[in-house]
Amino acid sequence: MLEQVWFPLVITLKIAAISTLIVAILGTIISYILARREFMGKWLVDVLVTLPMVLPPTVTGYLLIVLLGKNGIFGKVLFDLTGISLLFTWQVAVIAAFVVSLPLMVKTTTAAIEAVDRDFEYAAFTLGRKELETALFITLPLAKKGILAGIVLSFARAVGEFGATLMVAGNIPGRTNTMAISIYSAFQGGNNELANMLVIILVTVSLLSMAITARLVNRWKI
Amino acid sequence: MGIKVDFRKRHYMKKSDKKKGIDPVFMLDAKFEAGNELVVLFGRSGSGKTTALQCISGLLEPNGGKIIVNDKVYFDCHKRIDLPVQQRSLGYVFQNYALFPHMDVKKNIAYGLKGFSEEEKGRRVGEMLRLLHIEGLEDNYPSQLSGGQKQRVALARALAPKPEILLLDEPFSALDAVVRMKLREMIRRIQKELGIPILFITHNPVEAFTMADRMVIFHNGQVQQTGTPEEVFYHPQNTHVAELVGMTNIFEDAIVGDEDTATGTVLLRKDELQVSAMQQKLKAGRNVSWGIRPENIHILSEEDEKDVEEENVFSVSVKSIVNKGASKLIYIDIGHHQNLLIAETSNQAFEKLHLEAGDACKVKLDKRKIAVF
Repeated sequence: MLEQVWFPLVITLKIAAISTLIVAILGTIISYILARREFMGKWLVDVLVTLPMVLPPTVTGYLLIVLLGKNGIFGKVLFDLTGISLLFTWQVAVIAAFVVSLPLMVKTTTAAIEAVDRDFEYAAFTLGRKELETALFITLPLAKKGILAGIVLSFARAVGEFGATLMVAGNIPGRTNTMAISIYSAFQGGNNELANMLVIILVTVSLLSMAITARLVNRWKI
Repeated sequence: MGIKVDFRKRHYMKKSDKKKGIDPVFMLDAKFEAGNELVVLFGRSGSGKTTALQCISGLLEPNGGKIIVNDKVYFDCHKRIDLPVQQRSLGYVFQNYALFPHMDVKKNIAYGLKGFSEEEKGRRVGEMLRLLHIEGLEDNYPSQLSGGQKQRVALARALAPKPEILLLDEPFSALDAVVRMKLREMIRRIQKELGIPILFITHNPVEAFTMADRMVIFHNGQVQQTGTPEEVFYHPQNTHVAELVGMTNIFEDAIVGDEDTATGTVLLRKDELQVSAMQQKLKAGRNVSWGIRPENIHILSEEDEKDVEEENVFSVSVKSIVNKGASKLIYIDIGHHQNLLIAETSNQAFEKLHLEAGDACKVKLDKRKIAVF
């Protein structure tokens, strides 16, 4: 019983933590570029990033299989070169969580960066600071509330990820059975006791993480 | 030394408009020169002052021309020089101050001191705090400062890296009158002390007049006139400048009569309205405009009327009287084609006149103060 609860919790937090870390870094870079640069095909980047938010998770999962499966576009190259197959591993669950939570990060953070008055950046330029320094020490700190909101949303989305993960990583006990998937399969198998336990833990973890973030944000003046 | 600019900037509604040959929505042609002095860029909102300042600072790229500051080429279209903002060594004070809200005053001022040791930074910040009389504020955050204090911190931050030119974009527009007066004085003092050119934007004529060594007048994206405040205020070159500097009484389409060489005056006439002005070298028959500032229209009391010669004296009726604080504005109907004149008198002088709206009286236009353009 302990193993049936403990493993899903650990693997879920591990997947969500790694995916959120990548989402936070890449998402912030993408958001900065979308908010501050004009370039050809900007709309396309915006559409591609946002797409998983509007597609059914099963479709996202299916597209990931097409890309990452042994006969997929990237999956085949990877398999031919290294012999590694991504599907049905916890790593591919990280990719699935990344893809579905990136739009939440990018939408929130882009809005937060766009809301930073450009005069602050211009002031930094006139004081001799390059764009990268300005972004790191002026723009992003001033957008930090929005960035944190994006990170929290992305983490929550990753913890709750179900459809795409089930498609690409399956439900392999001891390997890819995340909380959301374990709850579904426990309920399907009539093991209501286990389902109840998992639900209570998942709700508690979610509430805790939200409460901690709210406290943290409240302490920030700006 | 000093500033030499001659550039153009075009704003298009959409980027593609330029290629399609669609006219830009705004055109700026900025051309002026100035020494290491306090230069006021003066004009209405939307006249191109801020765009000019942003082009000089490098925040905007002009479409052509040259910008040279202290013999350093900031921008030259033909030689393809466009020095990045960071390398122009300038100080810029924004209209909204743009103090970094997440840094205290000390860090804000030290932000431009790149490559300084901590000790040097501390010393320079101390110097700036003293220069602007804001000692004791160094640990405060911008949200804890008053408008005037923010302004001083913004100045300190801009001056800390020892810029070669200082640009100020309507820096006092959000401050009350007393703080404004103090800061105007402070900027003038700083200019004398540092000896660098300062470009200062304002649309406030009083501010322009009291601060400027040299004024550059903008209207509709064109520089209309450059000169000392006296030249610009008393000898505007055209109607736009005259209006901007507060010459509220302007008459267009007057014909110049023959010059009276004995008194050095000419007659300017439009229909029945005829005034004489102290002007030389005006060709007879020319079509000109003329104007007079409200304070140079004198309302004559009954005693005055006896011993005054008839030149430039008109019988008028008072339309309305507006209190302007230390003075009164008197709207006068001069009769000819319902031209309304505005006169300004001090409250003291006004009391002696016992005037009310609807009264008839006589006014005299000071012929030495009539500007022709």
